[in-house]
Amino acid sequence: MGGHFGDLARMRHVVTYSLSPFEQRAFPNFFSKGIPNVWRRFRASVFKVAPPMIALYLTYTWGNSTYRASKRKVHADFENDE
Amino acid sequence: MASLRKTQPLLKIANDALVDLPAPSNISVWWNFGSLLGLCLIAQILTGLFLAMHYTADVNTAFSSVAHITRDVNYGWLIRDMHANGASFFFICVYMHIGRGLYYGSYLLKGAWNVGVILLLLVMMTAFVGYVLPWGQMSFWGATVITNLLSAVPYVGNALVQWIWGGFSVDNATLTRFFAFHFLFPFVIAGMAMVHLLFLHQTGSNNPLGLNSGGDKVPFHPYFSYKDLLGFAVLLVVLATIALFTPNLLGDPDNFTPANPLVTPPHIKPEWYFLFAYAILRSIPDKLGGVLALLASILVLLVVPFLHTCKLRGLTFRPLSQFLFWALIANVVILTWIGGMPVEDPYIIIGQLASVLYFSIFLILFPLAGWLENKVLGLT
Repeated sequence: MGGHFGDLARMRHVVTYSLSPFEQRAFPNFFSKGIPNVWRRFRASVFKVAPPMIALYLTYTWGNSTYRASKRKVHADFENDE
Repeated sequence: MASLRKTQPLLKIANDALVDLPAPSNISVWWNFGSLLGLCLIAQILTGLFLAMHYTADVNTAFSSVAHITRDVNYGWLIRDMHANGASFFFICVYMHIGRGLYYGSYLLKGAWNVGVILLLLVMMTAFVGYVLPWGQMSFWGATVITNLLSAVPYVGNALVQWIWGGFSVDNATLTRFFAFHFLFPFVIAGMAMVHLLFLHQTGSNNPLGLNSGGDKVPFHPYFSYKDLLGFAVLLVVLATIALFTPNLLGDPDNFTPANPLVTPPHIKPEWYFLFAYAILRSIPDKLGGVLALLASILVLLVVPFLHTCKLRGLTFRPLSQFLFWALIANVVILTWIGGMPVEDPYIIIGQLASVLYFSIFLILFPLAGWLENKVLGLT
């Protein structure tokens, strides 16, 4: 079923190097580089994600307040009542 | 001398799916939801089986049998709460899984995608008939509203509805057969899930880059076996938190009242996971039109592969389409909100605009954005 290891892709002249886990830190620069990276990823996506969510919030609040207002008495309608 | 797991016929199937399966090295958390759906299915089948040992599918005793389970059966309250909230988690995982499919262009694996749409329909049908079983007010009236929609079918509509009901209204015959369906469908889902995986394993999984990953695969075990196990732990913790601390958060208070055909609740609405479709149904003033729109809201997924226009597979490198994707998500949230609101101003117009936008995004805007991105990125 599907691909099997050894029969996936033709790769030639690719050399990979790696360090022993005992010769490196497990989570290098986790905070010093990680936090600026979170900020970078946020900036890259915020203008694509936030506008629809802002529109969602505004629609929600406007819709609910308009509905509530429609259930309230409008004093101007009764101004000329005796 | 090949290992037994690679030669024994049964073990070979498990091995090729869960151990030696070549998987892209870069699949992210969004790829966890497939296995999470499998976990949800197993959890629902197990909790459902234990509930079925004590539940009675008769209109005179159904409601009180659920109360009996909750109060008298050992840990019945927990089994019941896990099953009810497990259904919500099933749909959370389903929608995340579909979202991943849309975002990363996984729908181009057409076999898996089409079986997936069938699975979605089966899961929806299972949840619908399952919600009727406690025989509360919302169980009864939700069933009445939705089954009545079938009368919109030309010529045979009324006969069809009475055939489904087993009578002239939702009554005992309906409840007993819905219990039978609710018991049966999960096993059909399990079988279809295996077909879903069969198609998936022809090509292997997609990945966040949308590129061929043949040159960079890792074995499923241990990388994704352990990653999926972590996903299971997270899901179970969140499910247990909801089931133990706020078991009725996602439920309707009306379902604590036994079903009464003579008293119509003021606001009949389905569970949260159906609200977006309910909003689309109600946005069209005509009954048949609404039913067709309801069906189209799910079946539109079947045409998505044919509307793929961009040379790039997923949305990772397509900012315009990404914006549209999030517009779709926000729109579905709006539809969910509207589906739970009464059919009054301004909810009517919001629901109609959101329904138009839903179909526009799939049928017009996504293909257009893909075509534009081809031009802007110089891919043509």
